[in-house]
Amino acid sequence: MLRFAAIRILRAVLTIALVVTFAFLVLRLSGDPARSIMGDDASPEAMAAFRREWGLDQPLWMQYLHYFAAIFQGELGRSMRGGGPALDLVLGRIPATLMLTLPALLMKLAIGIPAGIYAALHRDSAIDRAVMVTAVAGYTVPSFVLGLVLVQVLAIWFAWLPTGGTGSLQHLILPIITLGVGGAAVLARFVRSAMLEVLGQPYIRTASAKGIPWAAVVRGHALPNAAIPTVTIVGFMVGNLIAGSVVVESVFSWPGVGNLLVVSVTARDLAVVQCILLLVAVAMVLSNLIVDFLYGFLDPRLSTGGAET
Amino acid sequence: MMEKVTETAAGERENTKHRRIPISVSVSALWIAFIVVVALLAYQIAPYQYTALDLPNRLASPFHPQHLLGTDELGRDILSRLIVSVRISVLVALGATLISACFGTTMGFAAAHFRGRVEQFILMLADFQAAMPFLVLSLSVLAFFGNALPLFIGLMGLYGWERYARIARGLAISASAQGYAGAVRQLGASPRRIYLRHILPNIASTLIVSMTLTFPEIILMESSLSFLGLGVQPPMTSLGNMLGYGREYMTRAPWIMFAPATLIVTTTLSISLLGDWLRDRLDKGLQ
Amino acid sequence: MTANILELHGISRSYSTRQGLFARKMPVHAVDEVSLSLQQGQTLALVGESGSGKSTTGRIALGLERPNGGHVLFRGSELPPVDTPAWRRMRTQMQMIYQDPLAALDRRLSILDQVREPLDVHDIASASERNIKALAMLDAVGLNASHASSLPHQLSGGQRQRAVLARALIMQPALLVCDEPVSALDVSIQAQVVNLLMDLQKDLRLSLLFISHDLKVVRQVSQRMAVMYLGRIVEYGETNLLLSNPTHPYTRALVSAVPVAGRRTRERIILKGEPPNPADRPTGCAFHPRCPVVRPECMSVSPTFSTLPDGRSVACHAVDAAQPTKEVGI
Repeated sequence: MLRFAAIRILRAVLTIALVVTFAFLVLRLSGDPARSIMGDDASPEAMAAFRREWGLDQPLWMQYLHYFAAIFQGELGRSMRGGGPALDLVLGRIPATLMLTLPALLMKLAIGIPAGIYAALHRDSAIDRAVMVTAVAGYTVPSFVLGLVLVQVLAIWFAWLPTGGTGSLQHLILPIITLGVGGAAVLARFVRSAMLEVLGQPYIRTASAKGIPWAAVVRGHALPNAAIPTVTIVGFMVGNLIAGSVVVESVFSWPGVGNLLVVSVTARDLAVVQCILLLVAVAMVLSNLIVDFLYGFLDPRLSTGGAET
Repeated sequence: MMEKVTETAAGERENTKHRRIPISVSVSALWIAFIVVVALLAYQIAPYQYTALDLPNRLASPFHPQHLLGTDELGRDILSRLIVSVRISVLVALGATLISACFGTTMGFAAAHFRGRVEQFILMLADFQAAMPFLVLSLSVLAFFGNALPLFIGLMGLYGWERYARIARGLAISASAQGYAGAVRQLGASPRRIYLRHILPNIASTLIVSMTLTFPEIILMESSLSFLGLGVQPPMTSLGNMLGYGREYMTRAPWIMFAPATLIVTTTLSISLLGDWLRDRLDKGLQ
Repeated sequence: MTANILELHGISRSYSTRQGLFARKMPVHAVDEVSLSLQQGQTLALVGESGSGKSTTGRIALGLERPNGGHVLFRGSELPPVDTPAWRRMRTQMQMIYQDPLAALDRRLSILDQVREPLDVHDIASASERNIKALAMLDAVGLNASHASSLPHQLSGGQRQRAVLARALIMQPALLVCDEPVSALDVSIQAQVVNLLMDLQKDLRLSLLFISHDLKVVRQVSQRMAVMYLGRIVEYGETNLLLSNPTHPYTRALVSAVPVAGRRTRERIILKGEPPNPADRPTGCAFHPRCPVVRPECMSVSPTFSTLPDGRSVACHAVDAAQPTKEVGI
């Protein structure tokens, strides 16, 4: 188990290193990093200081190492527009984003999982079909279309809710629904197929043939086994808490990380973009790590052998 | 392209069992055929040039005598813009799907052929690609490089490559281990011959099904980015781009937005339905 | 010795496997110090249970895998490394027949295309001649023009194996390795395919390395045979001698399981204990946990080869104790 943990953590660190490498390469390929990070209007002295500080006068591999060192010291450059440290700027936006994504995640779980389980247990019933149709629709309708339709109907025609911005709890409703519906559909579809897969296994038939009540078979055998693959996709949703609402924030002019990202990309504020990229990567890697450990907990086979890496 | 896919898949099964095609699937196929025709003939069937201004008739509502679907804030004909948008969106998605399939399959074959370190490295890249939200990755690339159309198509072409890579790797390894690929290698065939003449045709149907499943996702990704103003740039137009600029006139002219929104939803829905159906048939065929 | 087309000198092959995802790597000896030789135009049979390393030995003999130790001589010279151009050219001289012909054929190409493929690969003859050659080869294995235009799944198991045979023989190789070529076929078809193989061997002066667990077939096709157990050869000599008078207890158990016409049926020796697992090789003589005549030294000391007066080699302590012998290398 200790080896298992060590290898997983090593892989997580490696993935982060890969993202840093990616950022470094992209930064180097796109022009002068000093100018990119510091902005066009930085003074020549500041540029020279920056070059020295980041070692840009040294060979490429040294620069690479310096870049790594700087990033792990939290030195992520300054925003070209605001002037403040990029990291502070991004961290300042996270609470606003979480105000949308956390309730949306709860909504996905609260609707998606029961709907998926119900559909699988009542296969081919009217409700199953309804769930499936909604699920397909839910993931083919892009969030910006859904968001705009909701705005058009509920905010413009009926004027029940505000079209966008912040200020009250009512401002939260439309973005959360927009985020939640699509995710709930994906989750329902996934849980349904995971459940169907498990229900088709011989041990389920054996258990019910032994005379164990169906409800107990489902609770004791089917649900725990279907939970294993479901954990992965939920883990992905958790990792996406920071970056998963880019489009929705833009639709509803919500001042979160996603909005900052879009504005920074448009303005080519590279320090901020790079900072968001790294934070998202860290969030993703951490949630993957948690999923891996949950896996080991849910399915002891995986931590002792079998699966290929 | 899509009709061809249904044809070959249906032709293969004909001698085994004749199953009825669900109505939703045939409607989807018809709709896709329609979209493909519109994309191909865009400039011939568009009533106006998509950039032509008609200033007296700005923000005209649909069923206007000269503009069936109305006009936008500059008096440009929505129908014409819609038709050209379909062409651009399909072009981007098609180009990106092909790039992604070719790149992914090549990487998968490379992993299967070289094994060892090369394979580990490719799998690590695939894991990385699967773990990172593609929207954020592509946004950062766009921030650094700007967004010319070829670069944009190339970037979209990275979407989903890891799926093809995994499929191609898995199938190539099993074909080499004890199957026909190992036998052909033993005859003295070069790797190129083994992969292109033997393995590729044998796994093509699986790859094509994957393409039909990735295609709508790429359309959605393209329209999301264009919606955010970071994909296809004006004066060029695409479905997402129309939607993004149309939303500023949401209260006064909702039709600017609704036409492309409807098209995006119906098209991705059709391709998804068709892809799901093809995958089910393929799964059954393999059992 | 000059007539030997193939010689294996002390070849070993081990794989490293892990029992669990993070367990330490364990080397598994699939083939251990195997030495064999095959004379031009003759057939050598390799016999053993699954997991005895006989297929691996066959693949090494063909140069499809490289041994960790020892060397393989084909016509007196060592095989080139795998997947080099020289190795690919070598394929025209040595070929293989598989247990499952359906898996060995490409499901999407016609039989004719596949039989012609070696000619395409090695650029033998002109394009139009290739088809003629391929059809002639198919005719030689008993398949006609309508079989030639079929796809593999449209043929029967025996016909598929004939097609695989045609594909292997079209380049007129000198050596053919047959890995359980008939064990997946119906018994009635087996005899036809074996007879065809023997006819072709005579006509084309083929040397065969015949891997099988079926002693009836082995008796029919081979002049010499080697019995393998857990990666090692336990008995090696003339087929008639080994089958009529086996000396190694493992060979005796195998032979006793086959009813033979014209001989008094003797009591069948049934092996006890677990089937062999290459990953968990017993110490000493690997066969000792199942051996009916096990002796104390078998558990710790690995037996060496001794040559009996009739020319066969045996690795067994019990045989050594019963007969005065001299030690030799092969």
